[in-house]
Amino acid sequence: MVSRSSAVMFTLPALIVLSVFFVYPILLTFQMSFTNFTGVGVSENIGLKNYERIIGRSRYPEALWVTVKFTVFVVTVQTLAGLIMAALLHRLPAIRNFSRAALFTPAMMSFVVVGYVWQFIYSPFSGGLNSMLNMLGLDWLARGWLGDPSTALYAIAVAHVWMFTGYTTAIFLAGYANIPRDIDEAARLDNVSSFQRFRYLEIPLLAPVFTINIILSTIGTLKTFELPFIMTRGGPDGATRTLSLEIIEQLFGNYRFGFASALSVVMLVIVVAVAVIQNWYLRRKEEL
Amino acid sequence: MKQRSALAAASSILAVTATMAFGQSVTLDVTAWKGNEAEPAGLAELIEKFESEHPDIDVELSYIGRLDTDTIIPPRLQGGNPPDVMMTDMPLVEVWGNAGLLENLGTDSEWYGRIPESLQAALTLNGNAFIMPLEVIGMGNFANMDLLAQAGVDEMPTTLDELKSACGALADEGINPMIFTGGFQAPLFLIANGLETTTNAAVSLGSGDAKFAEDAAFNQGIDLIRDLIDARCFDPSLQAGLDPWSTALTEFQGGNFAMMPQGAWNIAAFKQIDGLNFAFGPIPTSQPSGVALDLFGIGWSIASGSKNKDAARTYVDWFAQPENLQVMLDAESAYSPFDDGASGTPAEAAPYDAARSAGGIINYPFALLQWPKPLEGEIWDSLTGFLLDPSKPSEDVLTRWDEAVEDAF
Amino acid sequence: MLQLARTTGRFALNAAIIGLVVAMLLPVFYMIAMSFRTATEIAQQPLALPTSFAWSNYANALEAMNYLRSVLNSVGITVSVTVIVALLGSIAAFPLARNTGRYSRLFIMLVALGLATPNFVTITPIYVIFRDLGLLDTYIGIILAFTALNLPLAVFFYVGFIAAIPKELLEAAKLDNCKDWQVFWYVIRPLLGPATATLSLFVMLMVWNDFTYPLLLLTDKDKFTVTISVYRFVGNQNVQPDMLFPAAVLGSLPLLVMFIIFQRRIVAGLTAGAVK
Repeated sequence: MVSRSSAVMFTLPALIVLSVFFVYPILLTFQMSFTNFTGVGVSENIGLKNYERIIGRSRYPEALWVTVKFTVFVVTVQTLAGLIMAALLHRLPAIRNFSRAALFTPAMMSFVVVGYVWQFIYSPFSGGLNSMLNMLGLDWLARGWLGDPSTALYAIAVAHVWMFTGYTTAIFLAGYANIPRDIDEAARLDNVSSFQRFRYLEIPLLAPVFTINIILSTIGTLKTFELPFIMTRGGPDGATRTLSLEIIEQLFGNYRFGFASALSVVMLVIVVAVAVIQNWYLRRKEEL
Repeated sequence: MKQRSALAAASSILAVTATMAFGQSVTLDVTAWKGNEAEPAGLAELIEKFESEHPDIDVELSYIGRLDTDTIIPPRLQGGNPPDVMMTDMPLVEVWGNAGLLENLGTDSEWYGRIPESLQAALTLNGNAFIMPLEVIGMGNFANMDLLAQAGVDEMPTTLDELKSACGALADEGINPMIFTGGFQAPLFLIANGLETTTNAAVSLGSGDAKFAEDAAFNQGIDLIRDLIDARCFDPSLQAGLDPWSTALTEFQGGNFAMMPQGAWNIAAFKQIDGLNFAFGPIPTSQPSGVALDLFGIGWSIASGSKNKDAARTYVDWFAQPENLQVMLDAESAYSPFDDGASGTPAEAAPYDAARSAGGIINYPFALLQWPKPLEGEIWDSLTGFLLDPSKPSEDVLTRWDEAVEDAF
Repeated sequence: MLQLARTTGRFALNAAIIGLVVAMLLPVFYMIAMSFRTATEIAQQPLALPTSFAWSNYANALEAMNYLRSVLNSVGITVSVTVIVALLGSIAAFPLARNTGRYSRLFIMLVALGLATPNFVTITPIYVIFRDLGLLDTYIGIILAFTALNLPLAVFFYVGFIAAIPKELLEAAKLDNCKDWQVFWYVIRPLLGPATATLSLFVMLMVWNDFTYPLLLLTDKDKFTVTISVYRFVGNQNVQPDMLFPAAVLGSLPLLVMFIIFQRRIVAGLTAGAVK
């Protein structure tokens, strides 16, 4: 037990930083979302007009839908790929350490670098992917990956998954390391097949790791704007315009600070709601 | 301690008198989205000349792309660390000027009197002259004359019928006729054709008084794009894969496409390409001369927070002198914004010049604030979407334009 | 016989997985290989390996990116943020881990909210606040911004860590009549080494990779972090391979080298925090 006065003293510096750079800005965001502030000069109060516009124009619900598709794809693929890789590597100790490190490498690169490199890989002319498909005789698959609205979002999502699958794998492997050895060995002695061990033993024991992985990747993906910003600027025709990218564009392209704030509020509500619901649901499943 | 500060005071007094006597050497911080390798605009040469004529002023030019200008300059203007002189255009002048971040250069400036009256009004914001115009530049149609000749076309097409028959001839020869992305080329074509025939004033369309969706000319303009598709001018589904500012340019330079609507600022770079025999003409429309889509592009502005206003003013005024400006006009293949009629267009741009003298000039409505900036991006997006699905009703496209106009206010 | 089949099967599986892992690294090899080729070479033969080394690609990039300077900036910002965050985070975590009163619970809720909130939501006001405080385009500004961004994570981290310290240790100190700050300084602080090391990894990754804050808050070339100088150098509009790839390699080089040297510790550090 720390005395009350020192508790306050100790937390004060952190409290000040959080208040000035987190709590106060959030309050300001709320306040600005009711104005037509352009970033400079004075602003007028315009009531709920910004919010009406968000709901009234198909552009913004579409951005939300893009964000949802992107998040669902990334979280699903990344979690499954990470789980499968971890399950395999758990069984293959000889190559485990090397593979874990190799898979982790892309996470050490920044969004900017990954975005540029993959943008070129996808480039319709002299890009790596199409050239490789042509070489393999799969010309019919070659296309302008980022220029086609039916593939652009998933092309970006693949780059995102590529970047973080190693991270997910490593977290699953850490979860594997926490599985008590004797349980695993008992199952082995009972001649339970590898797949059955995976399905009925490992997956239930890994439940908390699922929670962590899913929550981490959901929060990370929901707010992403970097890859679309670098690779497509939201195009073609908004097919990759996520909610966060919309905020950036409104802020800088159009100087609509008030409107961008309203979008931010929507974003905050969504992120917090998703985090709370996911946490509640996954924790409940863990207990079953 | 006392002694030291006395010494400091003495030396600073000395410094002040010294600079008064010998003229203070100042460094001007200048930003521009020209002057890089792709678009040199003669700036390096001009700045060297300026510095030799004004040994007391040092110019430090930093290149900042136009899109990046939106992100980079405002924090500097507001954070008390502004560049002294900035390249600007009217959309920037409107936001920054209205916020008091730009210096009023004064309508009594020598060069201001030389701007033709029609342009004068467009460049003046509430009686303030925030920008010293540098050039008016053409946006039109580039043609690879060798490829056209291969298809038996000897003249640059300037009307829609000529364009369509050229496309057919090229396609028959297996040559890609046109680059036509929704991100730039299609908008130029549609804006030129729409504004040429509309009965509405550009301003009233841009303010929402008239609706694009109800405007016969713009609806018809979208049908014209469909006609071009039928005439095999381009494959609409491939256009979204081309970036109008990078891949489109290299593709045209590489001789993979016969035509490409773009700006005259590319002429200098295209001339450097061996074996590229090209011409620059107007945008094909229904009238015989085609439309010369003039862009009032760029000018210099001085930050109101600049600490070197006198030197900045010297610099800006220096560019207004015809013999200096000519260097830039030549490099850019542009026209003077002043009434001296000077231009820097080379022989390759003769078809565009001809369209201009035939009276086919239309001003790009965004450059003169007739249309609000957010509409530009919406046009790019909506036409990209349209080319991906040309069966979309024209009204859907144009309604999005109207909504963007409405949202801008 | 069965034994043999099993061994070969196992070997094949190992080989297949290694193949898969190497395939995942292809984009990295691609980036490195392309960085040595000229734009024309890439246009003509998109997938060929470099035949000669176009070092001029790198010479251009090094100079135009102001590379050394931006590496130093990233390092300096990372170190400053880590020190501040570790200090503020650990002293705040001490009472939060030990007390369970309403104040502690509220504080922890605030921290959790901070963890979940995208920095996007506050980006507009942060910009305005920084402008009014004159912090735009300053080292102090960017350090403060990153500090605020990482502080919730640090508090969370240290709370978990301090809560795991045996009670007896602290009570013994109390019995010796130590004041709270003495308990923290002499008993707890020396135990925080591993937690701080892990935390610094997270801070480092964020500072090196974050794109939003430097994009918004830094405008002076001399203050750019590595990430932002890559962005500014490559530019958004002209994707030229002979500029893009060297810049990408240079932009990831410092972290990749560090990762190759300390990979085991880095992976362990970055994942341990998540699983505990």
